[in-house]
Amino acid sequence: MLTYEEIMLLITALASVFSVIAVYYAIIEKNLVRAVVFSAIQSTIYAFIYYMFMAPDIVLVYIPVAVGLYPAVILILISKTEKVEKQ
Amino acid sequence: MRHILGLIIVLLFIIGFSLVLIVAGNYILPSHEIGMLAKYYLYLAYNPWQRNFTVMSPEAVTSIVWDFRGLDTVFETAVFYLAIIGSIALGRGIVKYIKPEEEELGLSLIVKTVTRISAVMIIAVAASIALHGHLTPGGGFQGGATAAVAPLLIIVIFSHYYLLEKGVTKDLMLFLRSLGLTGIAIVAIIVYLIALPQGIHAYVLQNQPKPDSSIGLPAYINGQLISGTLWFFNLFEFFAVMAGFTIVFLLITIPERAFRKEEEGEKQ
Repeated sequence: MLTYEEIMLLITALASVFSVIAVYYAIIEKNLVRAVVFSAIQSTIYAFIYYMFMAPDIVLVYIPVAVGLYPAVILILISKTEKVEKQ
Repeated sequence: MRHILGLIIVLLFIIGFSLVLIVAGNYILPSHEIGMLAKYYLYLAYNPWQRNFTVMSPEAVTSIVWDFRGLDTVFETAVFYLAIIGSIALGRGIVKYIKPEEEELGLSLIVKTVTRISAVMIIAVAASIALHGHLTPGGGFQGGATAAVAPLLIIVIFSHYYLLEKGVTKDLMLFLRSLGLTGIAIVAIIVYLIALPQGIHAYVLQNQPKPDSSIGLPAYINGQLISGTLWFFNLFEFFAVMAGFTIVFLLITIPERAFRKEEEGEKQ
């Protein structure tokens, strides 16, 4: 039988696998707006992983910067250039 | 199909590499002294019975960040300050106030009303994170980064001009940021400045009394724990970070229409 701690670690491991999927799609996505959304999903999962690793100080700085400020800045910059990446 | 195959290869690589790291982690262990250092940090973070070594802050991370390893954080703040100066230098001389009059700016009334409420709440939470940084997880940088979300929301939802009309200009933010950095510099040497006229010897970035220096800032003010310098460091860092991020947003969202018109005018 799994202990409470092992279940928490398994959930964290599963979350990190999903973050790898999000990173992969953020890299191959040609539509830059969607790529930013994938990147924000990865950041959300990372914030969750930091929380599971009992680092609330990092979570508190990671949520505003990586989920709020960074996608917003990238979206503002994309709005000044082109929406789709060209070969 | 090619993407799925690539994804599977990446995932297998990551999982395999994690297994290798787990096996390697059984053989590469940090030395015994490093473990003792962590124990001492936890033991001395809040310890009223060891008044010559403690930080008097129940938050171990903030005690390390602003007291045990305070110099690192001061330099980090200086690096952040210089990075923002770089972006201000790129945007120099382009502050213009030409508000378009024909249409109403920003998003719909519903979004604006929600933002009016949530922006105040964001600032309140940010102030709580920053000012309780020595008691609960959080601190100046965390609070400042959270507070900077509010001006960003206002810029996107109300427009650049709304923020400028409310008085949140680049110059004001530059002033607040410089005030924050000056405050950090003063707090870093304040114990030394207090000790100097009394002829006692003290250190830079000193907080509580040390074995060979009997002076320090009070840990309690009127019964409230402020942990000496930590509360002031968090307060000033909050202003420095919030104002720094706000300057970047103000510069990054300068409308290009006004400049395009001017360039066309110059060509003709």
